[in-house]
Amino acid sequence: MPTITFTQPDGSEQVLQVADGTTLMRAAVSNGVDGIVGECGGQAMCATCHVYVRPEYARSLPEITEDEDEMLDCTTAARTDASRLGCQVAVGPTLGAIVVDVPADQV
Amino acid sequence: MSSSTAKCPYSGTQAAGTAAAVPVPQPLRSPGGVSEAPVAHWLDVEGLAADPYAAYARLRAESPVAWVPKLNKFLVTSYGGCHGIEQDQETFSANVSGSTMNRAIGAQPMLRKDDPEHAIDRAPINPVLRPKSIKEAWAPVFARNAETYLDALEDKGPGHADLNTDYAAPLASKNLIDLLGLLDADVDQVRRWSHDFIAGMGNVLDDPGIWARCDASTADADALLAELIPFYRKNPDASLVSALANSGLPVEDVAANTKLAISGGLNEPQHMVTNMVWALSRHPAQREAVLADPALWAAAFDETVRWQSPIGMYPRQATRDTVLEGVAIPAGAGIGVVVASANRDQSWFGPGAEDFDIHRPKRPHLAFGAGVHLCAGHWAAKSAIGQIAVPKAYERFGSLRVDEQRAESWGGWVFRGLSSLPVTWN
Repeated sequence: MPTITFTQPDGSEQVLQVADGTTLMRAAVSNGVDGIVGECGGQAMCATCHVYVRPEYARSLPEITEDEDEMLDCTTAARTDASRLGCQVAVGPTLGAIVVDVPADQV
Repeated sequence: MSSSTAKCPYSGTQAAGTAAAVPVPQPLRSPGGVSEAPVAHWLDVEGLAADPYAAYARLRAESPVAWVPKLNKFLVTSYGGCHGIEQDQETFSANVSGSTMNRAIGAQPMLRKDDPEHAIDRAPINPVLRPKSIKEAWAPVFARNAETYLDALEDKGPGHADLNTDYAAPLASKNLIDLLGLLDADVDQVRRWSHDFIAGMGNVLDDPGIWARCDASTADADALLAELIPFYRKNPDASLVSALANSGLPVEDVAANTKLAISGGLNEPQHMVTNMVWALSRHPAQREAVLADPALWAAAFDETVRWQSPIGMYPRQATRDTVLEGVAIPAGAGIGVVVASANRDQSWFGPGAEDFDIHRPKRPHLAFGAGVHLCAGHWAAKSAIGQIAVPKAYERFGSLRVDEQRAESWGGWVFRGLSSLPVTWN
């Protein structure tokens, strides 16, 4: 099963094993990962599942769609080149493991 | 990847001292501690409309998941319980049986569907209501409309002006007409439709007079849409009806979701205008702070919608036997998700949860719902009301405040707001 590692601002880590096709947002919300709100349930209508993807995984990510790009401009913590919406990134055959940093603020 | 030069139009200053990450509430479903639901016999349902907040506090303290016989449903009043429901649409369905909403607007809108059916209706709506479209296509329209109705308010004068009747209500209607693209509809007509639809949705006692008015308004709105749908197929624009008309959805779904937007897109922004001015009038230090620093308008809007949530409760239905916050809920049971109470839950917002404080550390609230049914219009509301209608009112009348010489009028709990708010200025 693919693994997702969420790293908190204090350095603590939570490693989740999830089914293929699970988004980072859904994994976090279902498993009580602090700092991921997922307010809109995965429609790219809010920006409360913002994560920073570690650079070594950047090449395995799907392209940022126009909708995601627009919503990333509305993140509470500063947007960087590592910023993604957790609801738009799913783990699976092309992304078997990923490590992301959870921002200090989502709202 | 694009750089971070673009800026969200609606994010305000970040509250200081919010370094900690946001913890996620987990609904309690321990199979070992399941109990029968406590019954809130004491709850005076009729009395909630006057002021529900003391009753909500008692429900949260004694029985945050309670069976209420008079409503024939469970009321869930804690943040954790309400949030847990919204994260699990397979257990807690929006497609409730005997829906007065479906009866009122003559079809099933997206708010009474679960995914995947819900997502099909919602998909064409989201792009119209994302921040960029709101900022570029609609904020100038909202600003023009605000000036129009500020003129009307000014004409009434500081001894007679009513912020609801003279400003909030017609402005919310005009903004909605423009955003939806209801060409040729007038402000009073759309207010009447919205009022009649909402009355129908609340007509649990089957009052035939309410149904007659609701059916007449449904027929009027359907007649207009029968003209607008083919028009927008030939002449698409940035409006919501245009997006729906060109989405490939059946006409019935286009009409149902437009009528849903007419129902939910008017009273709530209207109430937010008056609620914000009411709250700031009662908290002069915070009023001075926001007038001195316009970046605080976003926080003022967000705190008002938490503290006086215009939508207090909405329904869900259990699809299977389940356990919520330790309480057994049987399959088929009706549930009232009391977000107005969840938004004052001390276990989530801290000991000052009952207070209005625009400087409080930011935490997620449920005033717009959560999950897939999160209010589609929440960015529009933040713009039209939080960034435009209310700031412009204070720009026009720097000393705008509630007029203590004349009586205001609050009402409702499922939907709650001011039906009259006399205001004055120097």
